[in-house]
Amino acid sequence: MPDPLASRDLTPPGELGTALNRPRPGVAVLTVDGEVDTLTAPPLEDAVGGMLSDPADTTLVVDLSGVTFLASSGLAVLIRAAHRAGERGHRLRLVAGGRAVRRPLEVTGSDQLFDLFDSLSAALAATD
Amino acid sequence: MSDPDPSPAESPDAVSVVEVRTTASAALIPTIRAVASDLAARADFDLDAISDLRMAVDEACATLVDVAAPASSLQCTFRVHAEHIEVHAQVRGGTADAAVSTDTFGWRVLQTLADDVEAVRETGADHGAPTVGIKLDKRAGVPQQ
Repeated sequence: MPDPLASRDLTPPGELGTALNRPRPGVAVLTVDGEVDTLTAPPLEDAVGGMLSDPADTTLVVDLSGVTFLASSGLAVLIRAAHRAGERGHRLRLVAGGRAVRRPLEVTGSDQLFDLFDSLSAALAATD
Repeated sequence: MSDPDPSPAESPDAVSVVEVRTTASAALIPTIRAVASDLAARADFDLDAISDLRMAVDEACATLVDVAAPASSLQCTFRVHAEHIEVHAQVRGGTADAAVSTDTFGWRVLQTLADDVEAVRETGADHGAPTVGIKLDKRAGVPQQ
């Protein structure tokens, strides 16, 4: 069995940055920077859990503008988050401007699970 | 070297071979996928195909690191042809029954990204620890007009 904690002790070459903001009541924005792969998917999962923690939030945005690589492990985190948001009657909004994020979403067909935007301002301006 | 009947489409000289060997650790996969990306870019792959190969190599290596013996090596061989790149990644399995799972989301993604992919497995001679590998092939994509 692989030991997931063993690899977590190393500093990944591609670090992941996450920041959760609530620019106005009911709106949660998770900003993600870096490379999302098998090492950094667990911290992304934690950060996404934080974004989904308040049922009062009705607009849920993950800003992936700063993401330069997205592996299937990262896609799986986003897909689970979309399902959790869906259970509450909301569509998860993704800001996915670059090819590094758009291509994995499109090639797997998982882009259908989200509302995609080119910029954070467009994601925040959209109405359900 | 004189070859009496060289294939005009693809002579052996047209193939470049690059091998990368690392400790079988997830922390080193970014290095391997960077090599994949660089080779594809130099081989004039289109941008989507570069992105796909980078992701496919990451997926293959992550899958193998999961089943590798502790402190063992991950060997990744790239054969760069004119219009496609073959990749063969392999590790020594951590257990006698180590194998690549092909019923996972990751494997489905890998099948989507690569033009051809297969799991390979050779039973070990000594204590039965198998060599577990993934072979994949990626074409350069539609030429830019």
